[in-house]
Amino acid sequence: MPAVKKIRIIDSMRRTDIENSLKQSKRLDGRAILDYREISIETNVLQKTSGSASVKIGDSEVLAGIKVELGRPFPDTPDKGIIICNAELLPICSAFIEPGPPSEDAIELSRVSDRGIRESGMIDLPQLVIREGEDVFAVFIDIAVINEDGNLFDACSYAIAAALHGATMPTFKIENDKVVILEKVKPLPILSLPISTTFVKIGDKILLDPNAEEQTMCEARLTLVTDDKGNFVSAQKGKAGGFSFKEFNEMIEISKKKGEEIRKKIIKNDK
Amino acid sequence: MSTIERKYVIPGDTIIEGDYRPLINAIKRNNRVISTRIGMAEIVRKDVRVIPLNGTYYPRLDDTVIGIVADSNAFVWEVDINSVFFGILQGSAVLGRTFSASRDSLASHFKTGDCLIAKIASFDRTRDPLLSIYGPGLGKVSNGEICKISMAQVPRLIGKKGSMIKLIEENTKCKLNIGQNGVIFINGAKESIVKIKKVINIIEKQAYLPDLNDKVNDLLK
Repeated sequence: MPAVKKIRIIDSMRRTDIENSLKQSKRLDGRAILDYREISIETNVLQKTSGSASVKIGDSEVLAGIKVELGRPFPDTPDKGIIICNAELLPICSAFIEPGPPSEDAIELSRVSDRGIRESGMIDLPQLVIREGEDVFAVFIDIAVINEDGNLFDACSYAIAAALHGATMPTFKIENDKVVILEKVKPLPILSLPISTTFVKIGDKILLDPNAEEQTMCEARLTLVTDDKGNFVSAQKGKAGGFSFKEFNEMIEISKKKGEEIRKKIIKNDK
Repeated sequence: MSTIERKYVIPGDTIIEGDYRPLINAIKRNNRVISTRIGMAEIVRKDVRVIPLNGTYYPRLDDTVIGIVADSNAFVWEVDINSVFFGILQGSAVLGRTFSASRDSLASHFKTGDCLIAKIASFDRTRDPLLSIYGPGLGKVSNGEICKISMAQVPRLIGKKGSMIKLIEENTKCKLNIGQNGVIFINGAKESIVKIKKVINIIEKQAYLPDLNDKVNDLLK
């Protein structure tokens, strides 16, 4: 079989259309430049997990599952629980993703998702300790991308936030110097809700929530993650282009505002 | 005159037993010819072929295809023709015999993202299909939009003796170029293109309807 290059190509006519429509601050799918596509969040979709969520942003769809299990702490942090976060781009999600070792994009997605929760201190890790230096609870977060149509960073962020927000952890007792896991569960200690917002720059316009085409043809990409108090907890810049200082300040304001809206949506959804 | 036998099959179905030759999308096991695709099995004399109901485009000689330039190097352009194969358009086939890889830059003729209407000049499975843009109506196109349809529905979009495409073109004053690979190039007014895209979507999803022409006619008016 001939080797097939798996790259998304946007034909020049489509590119011109997108650029022309952006000059009038409109997008081809009818959105304004700072609009999200329709976001739908569904929690507890997987039976055998401690918490799970399915998030759709337009045609992008991701599934997150949480499992809280007994583990051993890392030697440098004996007084903290463990978070292990992994995001996977499945070959079914897009024609441009092949099975095999994870691509750079998949690794970036995984790292950015992980950083958002870890740096925001979303999970109260000291509370996961059973016996310092010996037994702790480990929180495994697994994300599977079901369908890819751009802006997976945000989709993953919301899926994790929604799944962790409703997640539970087992209770335990110590018997004969052994940890026994009980059937009763309690809510996972959550301190904040980090929400990411992704921007791209095409020409001189800043767009929120890019779809696959916009993400392919953009010059620069920025993902900002805010927590409950409006602090920025992590950021990721992609592609070769740059942002001006003014644009950056604008994005910071929008990120806070949009983050608040989406946070409300996740909390409301959980009740 | 030979009779042609047709029937619907799914993968694993035995099409026929005996001394028959599997040609396309069929294999032979223990004297039985078995289908490997969902589709219509056709038995002509001793030959068995399955025409798939759906699937990706498989290049054939002399097909007109519409592709998008994906890449270029010193000698060839690689064209995405909506298939598992990339179409190869040689520099010498466009620039003529005087073409020199050291003097001429292919990227200055067709850039990545340009849309080409081309013919499959040669293809034999072992190598990527060679394209040619010599001929009436072939070459680079601009000012329009590209839209895709499942390659199996291309005959339905054209219609009996071109009835469907004629209907669409007359009602919208647009020009449609349909590639055998399921890529359609539409040239015309923006509003009409939006309308045509809706129609194409309906044709793709409801290709089985007997009164599809009337339905499309109503939609266009």
